[in-house]
Amino acid sequence: MMSILAPLPVVLPLSIAALLLIFAHLWPARVPDAIATLTALATAAICVLMLQRVATPFTYWFGGWQPANGLTLGIDFVIDRFGAGFGLLVSILFAATFVFAWGYFESVRAHFHVLMLLFMAGMLGFSLTHDLFNMFVWFEVMGVAGFALTGYRLEASALEGGLNFTVMNGIGGYLMLCGIGLIYARAGALDFTALSRAIAVHQGDPVVAAAFCLVVTALLIKAAVVPFQFWLSDAHAVAPSPVSVIFSGSMVSIAIYGIARLYWQVFSADAAIAPIFHRLLLAAGTASTLVGGIMCARQRHVKRLLAFSTISHVGIMILGVALLSADGTAAMMTYLIGHGLVKGALFMTAGILLALCGGIDEIGLRGHGKSIWPAGLAMTTGGLLLAGAPVGIMDAGTHMLDAAASRAGEAWVIAVLFFGSALTGGAMLRVTGRVFLGLGPMQGEETHAPTEQEDERSSRPLWLMLAPCCGLLLLAVAGGETISHVMNQAVPAFINPAQPAPSQAFPKAPHPLVPWLATSLALAIAAWDLSRQYMPRRLRRSADTLMRTFRPLEAAHSGLIGDYVGWLVLGLGIFAAALALG
Amino acid sequence: MTTHDRLDMTAGLPWCVAAWLLGVGLYGVATSRNYVHLVACLTVVQSATYVVLLCVGYRWGAGPPIFYAHPPGTPAVDPVVQALVLTDIVVGATVSALLLAMCVQLHKRKGTLDPERLRPMRQ
Repeated sequence: MMSILAPLPVVLPLSIAALLLIFAHLWPARVPDAIATLTALATAAICVLMLQRVATPFTYWFGGWQPANGLTLGIDFVIDRFGAGFGLLVSILFAATFVFAWGYFESVRAHFHVLMLLFMAGMLGFSLTHDLFNMFVWFEVMGVAGFALTGYRLEASALEGGLNFTVMNGIGGYLMLCGIGLIYARAGALDFTALSRAIAVHQGDPVVAAAFCLVVTALLIKAAVVPFQFWLSDAHAVAPSPVSVIFSGSMVSIAIYGIARLYWQVFSADAAIAPIFHRLLLAAGTASTLVGGIMCARQRHVKRLLAFSTISHVGIMILGVALLSADGTAAMMTYLIGHGLVKGALFMTAGILLALCGGIDEIGLRGHGKSIWPAGLAMTTGGLLLAGAPVGIMDAGTHMLDAAASRAGEAWVIAVLFFGSALTGGAMLRVTGRVFLGLGPMQGEETHAPTEQEDERSSRPLWLMLAPCCGLLLLAVAGGETISHVMNQAVPAFINPAQPAPSQAFPKAPHPLVPWLATSLALAIAAWDLSRQYMPRRLRRSADTLMRTFRPLEAAHSGLIGDYVGWLVLGLGIFAAALALG
Repeated sequence: MTTHDRLDMTAGLPWCVAAWLLGVGLYGVATSRNYVHLVACLTVVQSATYVVLLCVGYRWGAGPPIFYAHPPGTPAVDPVVQALVLTDIVVGATVSALLLAMCVQLHKRKGTLDPERLRPMRQ
């Protein structure tokens, strides 16, 4: 049974994509929408079946090319609960997005659906594969589909954002391939098991360290971790909103999943790497969380604001990986799933604003959302969940991460998490208050929108766009206990059977007040921004001075590809130097 | 297969060439003032990966990994990396083609390909 299921998550979307490309022009316009939605749902069902059946990881060798005489030539998928769980998140997000985008892309031959299905196949392949080069291939499949989808509308700003995205991720792909070449030179194999065995023999080998540096840098670029984050805010802000749902919900976090998988299943065999990797990821994760949070609070373009909040939450996930422990990894995975659902729903509400209010500028849209108040409720829920409200999957992940951090002796991580959630949640609640309640007027600012006039096709009724959004939020609120339980169970098989399994108890907050504190701080940030004109002058001026200190940060996000590549080289240099000097 | 000492068997030159191509390509991408030129620099970065991969699989005195005329067992260069390079070429061609298509569309709309004058989200 498993050997039939294992290749299906990839084979199904790929073959449906091919069929759509051939036959879609013969069919009525809505048929590709229905087929694509059904395909995503079928993949979700397959992932659920796999989740139920893999108590121990299942290895599937394509074409029956099993290793013989100690030599691995074949390519394999290893299905474990983490991989299947990630596949389930991806499939659900795609199914919701296909419903959300129902009738949005009127294109000949259903090109949008074909690209989206390719994108989905790439992600599923990436999350299940157990072969380094195969991983690179899926990395590029989802990359190329993502590049094409960003620039899909062929508008100037979308093309500019798409170019930056493509160039940065293209460089990432080439770095990864160089790393693969180096590790193959040492190990003579590409399968994770064989690689790990070979690395265990070559302890402290500089070639292994160099390969690790290149491959992980490529994934950090994809994950948009500081200092590689610049492309994300350009690309997510300008991509069509159904595509942004997928980008922020799963494309960015899949790279973090990939880093965790590569570290635990391949590179942890080299004991020299762990301490340096731990410090580097802690620094990068903290920087991402704070930079993303601060930049998020300064945005008025709602999708760009959401993009920066993604950078902040990616930082939190990186902190989970950085602990290099079983419970840290389980916490990262739980947080990742919760964040994917919430952020997907929030990008859908941004899409609703674009479609029904004809704009995406927070100040320009002040009070325009009153007629579509149900969307405001969804946005409030999402904002509260981002802010760390004590309910749902993100909250469970936060508690697990807090517990894991204190156990690892890095309790300061709790404070970073606290500020990241409060800043991003506060910004989101501010947008909700301004757009849906008409609070916080800013005279004379309405005309200074950061982009050209934007809108999206308003062919769809509100309920059709809101239904998938509410479905995602419902999952994010209801699934806390289940997901954290499944992830705790899944983690020993993912990392190393020798590691002790984390405690199965549902995690508690470090103090019952902490989640409320983060939520209150978020509400306070939103209330401050919305009631500025009533505040005393002195207070306002000192707040402005504080905000001005972050202006260089804003200036660094210049939109210039040359600057971004400079930062990339700097980040790569720091990583390499840290590995070389120990 | 004596994979362990493959690196030591090859001279250092190909590695220097690869590092040079990577560095000079990244420098070109960082300083480019025209997107078509930038795409060309990106392909220079990519050629570094070709050199790395071919160098990894190369064996002195070995023939091509095609056993049509020779009996199996004749020394041959590593066929795996050659398959990797082929995949790499396909990926590179796709990315370059997509980038150039975006450049064409952008030029139609903005009349320039200078990154300094094209910025998404000017604030």
